Amino acid sequence: MKIEGTQKIAAPRDRIFAALIDPAILQKCIPGCEQMEKTGDNQYKAKLTAGVGPVKGAFTATVSLQEIIAPEHYKLVVEGKGQPGFVKGSGELNLKDAGSETEIQYTGDVNVGGLIASVGQRMIQATANMLAARFFKSLEAETATNSPASSTGT
Amino acid sequence: MIPASFDYIAAKSLDEAISLLAKHKDDAKVLAGGHSLLPAMKLRLMQPKVLIDLGRIRDLSYIKEDGGLIRIGAMTTHFQVEISDLLRRSCPLLPETASHLGDMQVRNKGTIGGSLAHSDPAADWPASILALDAELVATSAKGDRVIKATDFFVEMLTTSLQPGEILREIRIPSGKSKPAQAYVKVRHPASGFAVVGVAVNLSIDGGKCQSAAIGITGVSPKAYRASKVESALKGNALDAKTLSAACAHAAAAVDVNSDLYASAEYRKQLATVYTRRAIEIAAGRAK
Amino acid sequence: MAEKTVGKPIKRTEDPRLIQGLAHYVDDIRLPDTLHAAFLRSIYAHARIKSIDTTAAQKLPGVVAVYTGKDTQKIGPVPCAAALPDLKVPDHRPLAGNKVYFVGHPVAVVVAETKSAARDAVDLIEVDYEELPVALDEEKAADAKSPVIHEQFGTNVAYKLTAGEGDIEAALKSADKVVKQRILHKRLAPIAMEPRGVLARYFPGEQELTLWTSTQIPHLCRTQVAIMIGMPENKLRLITPEVGGGFGSKLNVYAEEALMGWISMQLNRPVKWIEGRRENMQATIHGRGQTGYIEIGFKNDGTLTGLRYNVFADMGSYFQLLTPAIPTLTGLMLSGCYKIPAIQINVTGVFTNKMSTDAYRGAGRPEATYVVERALDLVALELKRDPVEVRRKNFPQPNEFPFKTATGLFYDSGNYQGALDKALKMADYTKLREEQKTARKEGRIMGIGVSTYVEICALGPSSAMPAGGWESATVRVEPTGKVTVLTGASPHGQGEETSFAQIAADELGVGVNDVTVIHGDTAIVQYGIGTFGSRGLAVGGVAVYMAIQKLKDKAHKIAAHVLQCEKATFVDGKFCADGKGKGEVSAPSMPVAEAPAGALPKPNESGKTLTMMDIALEAHVAKNLPADMEPGLSATAFYEPKNFTFPFGTHIAVVDIDPETGEIHFQRYVAVDDCGKQINPMLVAGQVHGGIVQSIGQAMFEEVVYDETGQLVTGTLMDYAVPKAVMIPHLELDSTETPSPVNPLGAKGVGEAGTIGATPAIVAAIVDALAPYGVRHIDMPIKPEVVWQLIKNGPKKTSAGAA
Repeated sequence: MKIEGTQKIAAPRDRIFAALIDPAILQKCIPGCEQMEKTGDNQYKAKLTAGVGPVKGAFTATVSLQEIIAPEHYKLVVEGKGQPGFVKGSGELNLKDAGSETEIQYTGDVNVGGLIASVGQRMIQATANMLAARFFKSLEAETATNSPASSTGT
Repeated sequence: MIPASFDYIAAKSLDEAISLLAKHKDDAKVLAGGHSLLPAMKLRLMQPKVLIDLGRIRDLSYIKEDGGLIRIGAMTTHFQVEISDLLRRSCPLLPETASHLGDMQVRNKGTIGGSLAHSDPAADWPASILALDAELVATSAKGDRVIKATDFFVEMLTTSLQPGEILREIRIPSGKSKPAQAYVKVRHPASGFAVVGVAVNLSIDGGKCQSAAIGITGVSPKAYRASKVESALKGNALDAKTLSAACAHAAAAVDVNSDLYASAEYRKQLATVYTRRAIEIAAGRAK
Repeated sequence: MAEKTVGKPIKRTEDPRLIQGLAHYVDDIRLPDTLHAAFLRSIYAHARIKSIDTTAAQKLPGVVAVYTGKDTQKIGPVPCAAALPDLKVPDHRPLAGNKVYFVGHPVAVVVAETKSAARDAVDLIEVDYEELPVALDEEKAADAKSPVIHEQFGTNVAYKLTAGEGDIEAALKSADKVVKQRILHKRLAPIAMEPRGVLARYFPGEQELTLWTSTQIPHLCRTQVAIMIGMPENKLRLITPEVGGGFGSKLNVYAEEALMGWISMQLNRPVKWIEGRRENMQATIHGRGQTGYIEIGFKNDGTLTGLRYNVFADMGSYFQLLTPAIPTLTGLMLSGCYKIPAIQINVTGVFTNKMSTDAYRGAGRPEATYVVERALDLVALELKRDPVEVRRKNFPQPNEFPFKTATGLFYDSGNYQGALDKALKMADYTKLREEQKTARKEGRIMGIGVSTYVEICALGPSSAMPAGGWESATVRVEPTGKVTVLTGASPHGQGEETSFAQIAADELGVGVNDVTVIHGDTAIVQYGIGTFGSRGLAVGGVAVYMAIQKLKDKAHKIAAHVLQCEKATFVDGKFCADGKGKGEVSAPSMPVAEAPAGALPKPNESGKTLTMMDIALEAHVAKNLPADMEPGLSATAFYEPKNFTFPFGTHIAVVDIDPETGEIHFQRYVAVDDCGKQINPMLVAGQVHGGIVQSIGQAMFEEVVYDETGQLVTGTLMDYAVPKAVMIPHLELDSTETPSPVNPLGAKGVGEAGTIGATPAIVAAIVDALAPYGVRHIDMPIKPEVVWQLIKNGPKKTSAGAA
């Protein structure tokens, strides 16, 4: 399953890129991420509670940051496993300046397996899009020029 | 298809249900028919520790009209809506919507409040509730809170109901004598949910559309008002040209769903075509 | 004398218990002390199992045992009865060994005191998988570059097979034209309303295992499970209670059946497993699954010269009972109801990381009919001729039967023109074509599809079957005159409790309600084969008929003895002395010895006639039987059919298509089926209805979808669209009756007719509707979106059309 899109955030590119590779901020941006623990260079172990509305599942995940070319490109790879099945997502993010804002182009590939794959067909694409949207919304909250960096998120 | 273990409590009154919910908080789910909740539990997609059943609270099931409002209790079944003389007379959109909903078993047991609170992106009710400018009454230990339909649906499977709140009543402004309403739907061949569901509530006077309210479900992660279509209709005669121009906006400004049955492109086409058809049917009924 | 019932649409005697919810399915059988089993199934399509940790699961309160592949190695492989040259047969054990091959592959089984504990414990088993690349598409998986599923074979090609007669190369060369088409037969899920279920109980003292299982083949299943778990076959009693549909999916022997038996023997307690719907979608066989290439050669006058079908058949990762044999049935039926001098099928059976395919209603024959019918439509389109005309041109004449095909079959009897003419008349075909012209002028999209089919039924002569094609019956007349029929066929919804009773009632001069048909218990019923391949009546029913004839022989002898005549005749339910018409003979009363005290009263043998009840009592009291005659009134027959039977018919679908949305609406559906002699026309109609409904499903809605990683995404009935009543048009049905010369009943079989005849008609109608848009073929299931795209993108040619 593919997800792709473009997101504009009112913040300088450097600031956004720095946030994207900062585990503390990533933890706030990855929807449902409750804990992130460094296991290696740009490698983290995470606990996630992901889902939509009341349909949620607990996942243990690995998060890795790859192909880092500051401040324009990197790849975020998340692989989670839990009782509802597994999720594997990788997204490539390309950043460029758009006036005072920064434009982030993203293309991602999401694979799900197990229960969620077999029963969630009709909502899965929308869920993936929604989680991506949440990620960027949180990122915006964390980085936008006029918002405090210590946003509490949701 | 065996749920994780849970406690079941049949609340005897709304007050009891509210206090149970306050006590168990996130561990609890409210059971209001169960046609979405129970399958999700059987699949273990949801594993609430406590189920608070509203099924025994008789005074949550009613359809009445007073003070210029139609009031529908949250535990009113789809079937009761479908056969209500009051609604057939004054708000036929609701019985028509009910008649498209699920199957006979679902309509006999499922409730309008349960469905709305679950907020499935392809459920039928949200379209009609939006088109009718309904208000939803949530209640909690703090008392009642009235939520506009347009504020109620937040995103897929998520409403603006707050922790501790229970949807108690749906209120609809009493309609005119001959409402120009219609609900049309493309059923998913497997689930019966709306691939596209369009609810139309028009006011037509002197051959012109005075107001239009159009709710669309199934197309996007949450049901929405097709406001661009509405504004394109307002003040105009509903001729073919107007309709076709207006309905091209049926899925404007929303993320369009895609699944195995219908791609986003096709869903958009269905939304366009069925919005037009729903308006035509509604307009025909006003004559 | 009861009224004759054969040929009459009497109501099913099965129905009252079914409708009232009083019938007993496996899950309705409750035994004290029963344990419950739940499976952990693979969530990966292809992976190596690095480790399995069951510690936490075993510690959960209520859990009695957890078994993995390592623990169950003594259980033999799940059997495959198909024997093909150079067939690569994977070692299919009940639980996964060191690899999993498909989503749903059973990895471990938990046995617990309650269903909930068993299910909870499944979530506590930890499996460490190493994912492997997948092979999913049957055509791509056959490629040498594909990831290999069973490493020991070095390839995913399970077998290659060429069949057919005639020089196909020459035949295609001699044609004026050859058309080609790639076609897909997507995977379908059989979706029996009752999923599978097994209850096993072992008595260690008696060393007897009883297995209640929802199967179509109780005896074959008993034999195979006994072999798998290594116990004497006659210590295993297999009971098939009510079966809520099979459609071929229960014509099988499954891992779970052997496992439950084996577990019960380990724990000395009853154990039950009831399949959930998700398991049913994942781990019960699928049907169809072919990617094929058609080449058909023909003369300019429409005469067919040759047909070649190259097909990649999706096996799934393992073989179930008949998996590799299914495409061979496709090959057998490639002549359809046409004279085709040369036919060739080239099958490549391919392993994929999916559940096994196997017999699903029609089993290989719907594929054949679809191939031939699509081919005929393409010929008609190419020649700009009416598809009916092209079909008629190539029919054998009724006097040409038995008709030999280039696939090596002898069609028993047929009148294809008769069924076609009747259907055309019912549909008013000429007028429909006129309407279509008008519709096209008005911008409406209307299509008419015609399919003329023949199918192979009454499977079958044992020489052509993997494990015996005969059927057995025992018929007893009890002392009170009640008739008991034990049939080896194991009906599961087809209504044979009624139709077999009709046969017995008419033959024995009793009422239908005096007959009890017993089936599906290997301790009661003599060995039999089962119900599949439209064989229930045309093989099983014939066995009943044969047993009755044996029984009647004996009854005649007893009657003659009692009536003191040389020979007795049985007319209108009564025996009388031969020669002088019914009941008019005054038989001399035989001298009766003084009855011993307590003896049953004797029938009135001094009367003019005797009923079957009189004879039955005489046979059981056994005081007045011919010398050397055994007491009792019972006979058993094992009927071996000499040939298959070949029912046929014509289906016509008329559709309207919404030009804005591509939605398809049926305007008419007409079918004329000829299944030979009909015992109960209501049962025939029921079978045809059900078959057409499943065909509509295949043509328009159903498809088992695995995503690109091998996840089964149509995992529930929320996504897999089984047709609902509201999606089905009114079915206008009629029949012709061309008796089969193969058996004394003249019956051919009708269980699969609908799924064979209807699909091509529906697809043809949709394609015909879209002909003005340049469409010549669409793969199933034809969803509205596909149609909409074709309308949107296709060139509108006003002059084109099928006719």
